[in-house]
Amino acid sequence: MKKTNTQNLQLGIFVILGLLIFVIAVYYIGKQQNLFGNTTQISSVFKNVNGLQLGNNVRFSGVNVGTVKNISILNDTAICVDMIIQNKTLTLIKKNALATISSDGLVGSMIVNILPGEESASEHIQLGDTIKSISKIATADMLTTLNTTNENAALLTADLLKITNAINKGEGLLGALIKDETMATEIKQSISTLQLISKSALQTVTKLNKMIDAIDIKNSVAGVLLNDTISAKKMSFLIESLNQSAIEINEITANFNAFSKELKNNEGALNYVMNDTIFVNHLDSSMKNIDQATEKLNENMEALKHNFLFRRYFRKLERENAKDEKN
Amino acid sequence: MAYLLSLKQNIASFFMEIGEMSFFSLRFFKELFTKPFEFKELLNQCYVMGNKSLFLVGVTGLILGIVFTLQTRPTLMDFGAVAWMPSMISISIVREIGPVIIALICAGRIGSSIGAEIGSMRVTEQIDAMEVSGTNPFKYLVVTRILAATLMLPLLVIFGDFIALIGSAIVENMKGSVSFVLYFNQVFEALTFSDIFPATIKTFFFGFAIGLVGCFKGYTSKKGTAGVGKASNSAVVYTSMLLFIIDFIAVFVTDIFV
Repeated sequence: MKKTNTQNLQLGIFVILGLLIFVIAVYYIGKQQNLFGNTTQISSVFKNVNGLQLGNNVRFSGVNVGTVKNISILNDTAICVDMIIQNKTLTLIKKNALATISSDGLVGSMIVNILPGEESASEHIQLGDTIKSISKIATADMLTTLNTTNENAALLTADLLKITNAINKGEGLLGALIKDETMATEIKQSISTLQLISKSALQTVTKLNKMIDAIDIKNSVAGVLLNDTISAKKMSFLIESLNQSAIEINEITANFNAFSKELKNNEGALNYVMNDTIFVNHLDSSMKNIDQATEKLNENMEALKHNFLFRRYFRKLERENAKDEKN
Repeated sequence: MAYLLSLKQNIASFFMEIGEMSFFSLRFFKELFTKPFEFKELLNQCYVMGNKSLFLVGVTGLILGIVFTLQTRPTLMDFGAVAWMPSMISISIVREIGPVIIALICAGRIGSSIGAEIGSMRVTEQIDAMEVSGTNPFKYLVVTRILAATLMLPLLVIFGDFIALIGSAIVENMKGSVSFVLYFNQVFEALTFSDIFPATIKTFFFGFAIGLVGCFKGYTSKKGTAGVGKASNSAVVYTSMLLFIIDFIAVFVTDIFV
């Protein structure tokens, strides 16, 4: 009986361990295929899925976040790929994310790669959302491009062969450079001359440097101008004032110019006075006449004062003046 | 003419044996669902077939994993695809090699022991004695053994696969510096339900075949003690052949549905 119990215990352990291994294996395989845990379905429409299969991995920036759940052909240019994405990574995938199909290594199975969008979007994807897709170069396209590149390379190498042959024969400038010894000698001479020139230039620059070093820049006017900020402000003010004065002087000069032009054009009274001698003589004689007339008027006025008709008036004026002086 | 006659007899006996085995299996299903149920003997047989075979299966599995990895590694290295080792080894072991090799080992160990045990009981008339004493020998001897083999073989295969993968992981760890975590991550990434479920389901049929053929050969053994040896031997041979036929059918059916 005891033996049977031990047997049964051992059998029980054996069976449970075996089942446990099986269940764990099933769990991990299911977990890889995102059958357990919280997931959300999103989709994307592609032109070509390049042999993508159900259960292929979906990666977001290189990390496995889900699997392909369904692939359906919508029309001749659109294939809808439904993907299951883990909820914990859902918040990281924004609505402007891009889906692309690529190969997992050179001989690997196909995968869907979700790339973050270029511009930052605040809203993350939700159940049933469709994200945009971009088509990467497929292997066939790559081979086509490679074929073109090969053809171009063949043409290039043919041309290169021609060039190298020509160079070897000493044709053209490059050929002459490589083959022509005279040219080589000349070039050597030119280089040695250039060396001499550069040496001389170096000496000159050294001398110039010494001269510049010898100048006491700090205490010179240039130094003050360069370093003293107050002087700089003053200088700035001075220059502004000078500028203003220059403008004003310019205006005055312009006025003078206009004035002198008018003078030259024989217009205006002054010009008349300056240029017409007859008029000046008339004016002179008129002035003399005026002087004489004034003298005679004074005499008349004096006579008028003594006249009995106006004598009273003038006396009255004298009295008022006397009053004012007293006050 | 004599040759043709013997050939005709052989063919006829072959079909007769197939027919007898079919009746034998029908009787098994009939007895399986009728009372009384021999639970104690069933548990005993499970212990004998399961626990007692575990060491053999474990050693076989470990060596299978190690050797398979060592043999495959150089070829994959030539292609620069050593990173695919865990995926390739796991799929090969879980889908095909593990179940078939372990079933063959069990055919040798369990099938032959059943054939010899029941055959010797038959030739020493113990079975007849049981019938006389009122015990149903078919139910007690055959049903329990076939059922135990059917139930234990899947578990033995699971253990064997697991140990084989550990053996493979050890080699990869030593030769290729692949950590156990990385190895089993890649294994579970490569495996799918379509790998593990059909492979597990077919092991029930393997177990059934081992139990059925062993019991049939033992139960129908004749001609004294020589018959016991013949029963034991033919149980292993027929079972091995039947295992490959079942495997072929299983792969064929899996290929249609998965």
